[in-house]
Amino acid sequence: MKKQPDDFLPLSQATFYILLSLRETRHGYSIMQDVELVSNGVVKIGPGTLYGALGKLEKQGVIKQIRLDEDARRKYYALTEVGKQVLKLEFERMQKLIQNSRNFICEMESEDQ
Amino acid sequence: MKRFRLFLAPDVKKEEAWLTEMSENGLHFKKYRLGVYYFEEDTDKSYIYQIDFQSMNDKTEYLQFYRDVGWEPVDHNFGMFHYFRRNAKESGADKIYSDASSVKDSYQRMLKFYLIIFVALLVLPMSLTISTWGGFLIQKILVCIDVLLIIVYIYMFYALRKKIKFYTQDVL
Repeated sequence: MKKQPDDFLPLSQATFYILLSLRETRHGYSIMQDVELVSNGVVKIGPGTLYGALGKLEKQGVIKQIRLDEDARRKYYALTEVGKQVLKLEFERMQKLIQNSRNFICEMESEDQ
Repeated sequence: MKRFRLFLAPDVKKEEAWLTEMSENGLHFKKYRLGVYYFEEDTDKSYIYQIDFQSMNDKTEYLQFYRDVGWEPVDHNFGMFHYFRRNAKESGADKIYSDASSVKDSYQRMLKFYLIIFVALLVLPMSLTISTWGGFLIQKILVCIDVLLIIVYIYMFYALRKKIKFYTQDVL
């Protein structure tokens, strides 16, 4: 049976940032740079981790390879339709999590003071 | 300079640490052939070594990716164990894996790879030798070697399983 977009949730932090970076077509190095930039330097993905993750995500049909004639030595990646949905669903899941818990966490913080 | 040393697949981290330590002392790993490590001497340099276990259909692209991010490809073993190094004096991450789950994945790939070798090169030839048993000396020698290797492999599977368990994170 084929996996539905919500079967991939929740995503790991690294996977979420990788998918987010693929809002534009990128090669491996560019993904690493974007993840570091977008996460304000907090998330740094190693090349071994990224290479493994890209292979896995491609196999699952979440991302796809793109060949560019002007740069045949590098593989470029982009989100598939499934990948776009996975990213959006994960964002919505986390947003709900924040909405549902915000008031309680704020209360806990004011009690602590 | 040459050095003979055997590392089993589950000890890949020890191998990396050893190569890095040798490099700190001015001996830089360049080539690997059947348990023999070849080093180049240069006391001015120092490298950090890392090994990626990876099978790929496009090797040029894979190595280019590592070069892009500052890791120089050094050599490979079976086309599966890829040795990389980067200048220890430059800033940057010391590890090519940045989370536990990708370390776990790499040990899982090793386990799969060695299981195939185990069946194809040890179990199948063994059953072939036994099914054509004539009690010849050469057959006895072959069986002895095979049994020895099978014991090593079983130990290796046990050690790999332990590593995989260690790097599997419980979701709280």
